[in-house]
Amino acid sequence: MGFWRKMVWPVVARSAPEETVTSSFASFIHAVQPEHLSKTVRHRSKRMILDSIGVGLVGSTTRVFDIALRYCRELYSSVAVSSVYGKPGVKLSPTLAAFTNGVATHSMDFDDTWHPATHPSGAVLPALLAASQMLPPSTKPNGMDFLLAFNVGLEVQGRLMHFSTETHNIPKRFHPPSVVGTMGSAAATAKLLSLSMAQCTHALGIAASLAGAPMANAATQAKPLHIGNATRLGLEAALLAARGMEANPLILDDIPGCSGFSAFYGVYQPTPLSTPSDHHEFLLEKQDIAFKRFPAHLGMHWVVDAALSVRNLFINYAGSFSPSLIRTIVLKIPVSKYINRPFPSSEHQARHSFQFNACTALLDGEVGLGSFSESSIHRQELRELLDKVVVEHPEDNVANFDKMYGEVALLLHSGDVLTGKCDTFYGHWRKPLSKESLLKKFRSNASHVLPEEKIETIITMVDNLEKLSDSSQLASSL
Amino acid sequence: MNSMGAKSSKCKTITGNFADVIRGLNANHLTDQVIQRSKRMILDTLGVGLLGTSTEVCHKVTQYSKIYSSEISSTIWGHSDFRLPPLYAAFVNGVAVHSMDFDDTWHPATHPSGAVLPAVIALSEAFPQKKKISGLDLLLAFNVGIEVQGRLLRFSGEARNIPKRFHPPTVVGTMGSAAACAKLLALDRLKCKNTLAIAASYAGAPLANAATQTKPLHVGNAAKHGLEAACLASQGLQGNKQILDMESGIGAFYTDYNPQTLPTLQSYPWLLDQQDVAIKRFPAHLGTHWVADAASSVRRKLMESSGNLLPLDKIEKVILKVPEVKYVNRPSPTSEHEARHSFQFVACSALLDGSMSVQSFTSENIHRPALWELLCKTQLEHPADNTPSFESLYCEVSVTLQDGNAISDRCDTFYGHWRKPLKKEDLEEKFQSNASTVLPAEATEAIIETVYNLEKIEDCSVLSMFLSGQSARVLSEKLYFL
Repeated sequence: MGFWRKMVWPVVARSAPEETVTSSFASFIHAVQPEHLSKTVRHRSKRMILDSIGVGLVGSTTRVFDIALRYCRELYSSVAVSSVYGKPGVKLSPTLAAFTNGVATHSMDFDDTWHPATHPSGAVLPALLAASQMLPPSTKPNGMDFLLAFNVGLEVQGRLMHFSTETHNIPKRFHPPSVVGTMGSAAATAKLLSLSMAQCTHALGIAASLAGAPMANAATQAKPLHIGNATRLGLEAALLAARGMEANPLILDDIPGCSGFSAFYGVYQPTPLSTPSDHHEFLLEKQDIAFKRFPAHLGMHWVVDAALSVRNLFINYAGSFSPSLIRTIVLKIPVSKYINRPFPSSEHQARHSFQFNACTALLDGEVGLGSFSESSIHRQELRELLDKVVVEHPEDNVANFDKMYGEVALLLHSGDVLTGKCDTFYGHWRKPLSKESLLKKFRSNASHVLPEEKIETIITMVDNLEKLSDSSQLASSL
Repeated sequence: MNSMGAKSSKCKTITGNFADVIRGLNANHLTDQVIQRSKRMILDTLGVGLLGTSTEVCHKVTQYSKIYSSEISSTIWGHSDFRLPPLYAAFVNGVAVHSMDFDDTWHPATHPSGAVLPAVIALSEAFPQKKKISGLDLLLAFNVGIEVQGRLLRFSGEARNIPKRFHPPTVVGTMGSAAACAKLLALDRLKCKNTLAIAASYAGAPLANAATQTKPLHVGNAAKHGLEAACLASQGLQGNKQILDMESGIGAFYTDYNPQTLPTLQSYPWLLDQQDVAIKRFPAHLGTHWVADAASSVRRKLMESSGNLLPLDKIEKVILKVPEVKYVNRPSPTSEHEARHSFQFVACSALLDGSMSVQSFTSENIHRPALWELLCKTQLEHPADNTPSFESLYCEVSVTLQDGNAISDRCDTFYGHWRKPLKKEDLEEKFQSNASTVLPAEATEAIIETVYNLEKIEDCSVLSMFLSGQSARVLSEKLYFL
């Protein structure tokens, strides 16, 4: 009958951390140094920072941003130290600035996308910008610290997504930025604030209780809140941990019968992160990001490129784009309910509609910001084209941003068939935007709210981020 | 057939139906029993919250929340020295309510009041001066918040049992807070729908933070985020108007999800009418209440048979027959949060002391040697018929002595459970005992009076004033009833 153990006084203080998955993450966040960032990773992450800022700036002109900002300003005024994208005179408290800027970033679905699928930068950058302004002058993090913290935020997101095979495909249940984004923001902020290893652990634990929003609000005005809340709540989690709040130290581990972070997945297989010794390979090294060329869901980019290609064929064939010659438009797309919308009625729906984006590309020869205005969405010529669309789901077209393709076929009344297919759109990680294209996108976005000198200042600052002595200058320049 | 007043002909979705009901319920729909039960819940929740303001977790979130401040502010229960913006008042007070796991529990399982009351009280203070919120408005909004939670819990079979994945207050509590605030704000039907939609994107925290210091934040955040959702909807923010209908909406939190429309408003059948809450007698997970009652009873028997002395050193082993609930199975808890979630700890404490109280969870009591000796001898068994549901679970405690004798007893329904509700005197005693730790006697008396007469109070801001400790004498003129 030896099954009652000899009682051991509980060992509270540990000399070396036990190797749990959670503690390995905390160790990583705590111990990783700027030297661990490779050249590729630095280069790629700076591109992401620039794009994210630009997207946030143009996003500050949206209605959803307006609501979020008004809400934050009406309810709170004090300790207003953190800047708001595109609003030079306005400051908010750090978490609300993060919230508002996060909403701006995702307001038009114009922000970056990774594989496995999430929008990584929007969940991390606003928190870091806000936090950098929060810290007293004597402890301002420099540009390198900032860049490192940003990459910690990305890395944690990527590593967490690798814990479940479900993440490889376009999501169905929880919107990934709200799941891993919150954790990334907590990790990044913990890094920037130089929290202890224990505090890093608790930041992750607290953040998990703030993660997770259902997919159903995608394609609605509430979707941008997912990024806004991810970045804000992750920041909150780190701030609470900094003040001594404690959570479950096994939050990332598998806890049978009582879910931790695994609650968000059906299949969950966590593995520890190796502590960065001399060499740590960041996921961003192997797997680059996709930048969007127009403000719509990533899936739209394949059908648009396919549509543009078949449009050219059609113009060569008919001399001009003549919709009356078209009997049917066949879209070959993967199965994904929330982006299959034959007749979208709002800008949010339009950004999540294969049909809308294909037809807009066919009609206009391009898709841009203006394509999603009220008048553009409801124009007669577009509705007529939409009427001709049928959708097919070939078995080999998987709902996965690494493998999917888009095909647009025009079945003409004459009996001829013209087809355009796109495997890899320009901006995808396999065909990254050139430096010129990225800068063009940034300048175009930022010019909606900032004067030219400021725009060029930001470009230069981000390009030379590692050499910046006070990274809060980046936030103040917005 | 559409019944009188029902607008359900307009909406074909469950989400729309919920919005209709939130809009359409009014004071006339409240039955006597619902009023009585909900007032008991309000009183208990206030007391538990007041007590909770003295906890460490509450101190931390208060410090954190103080970094925000604004002109509009709401009361922090138990404090007159500072106020916070409504959102953070809801957060901090919600944390206080759940800080010790002392708040009410319902079936299907959740902690309904803590997610709603702090939000509606904080919100009631945020209206412009001219607009008075009556006690009846508050009571109605509160009940809307409770009702919505209960209805949502019934959409999934999983909800019947003690949870494993998501902590229910974070799922339905956020929605309940949102609904209650939408009601108090008198939002139109469309905005009620959007409130629910936005709230869903804040819902859901994993269970693993139960038994840690972060758990109380689940209720605090539910209250705060529900309020935020209502405020954002009020400003015009829109979400998915079928949020309750879709599997990728609230359905995301469940593996089996079958939403239903609500009953028509005519003689609305409130869930609280059919199903009361359980009120805790000591601050620990509800499952431990069965254990405490059984253990106390075994202790009495033990004492009787050995001359009124507890034969501690003669105890060979202690066996607890409980349902299988992993997060309450803790053989050696080291923190107060773990102790509150430990069948073993509560059994041994009750055996040692005869009953459980707030004091049972102090650091000295958690670490006393006599307790640890008993814990060493304690083990759990999970009989197949002991289902992990607050409706049907039981606990059997059996103590075996060295001489081979075994004394045991079983508890099917502890005192405080909905099948054996606390008597009025005992509910009040719990409230007094809790509230008096931070408020003067005049204020605690005044709160009891106010809650008991809530539907007659013209301006519910008096409640907030008493909660901050202000004297009843000065405000006696505000107690004039309608």
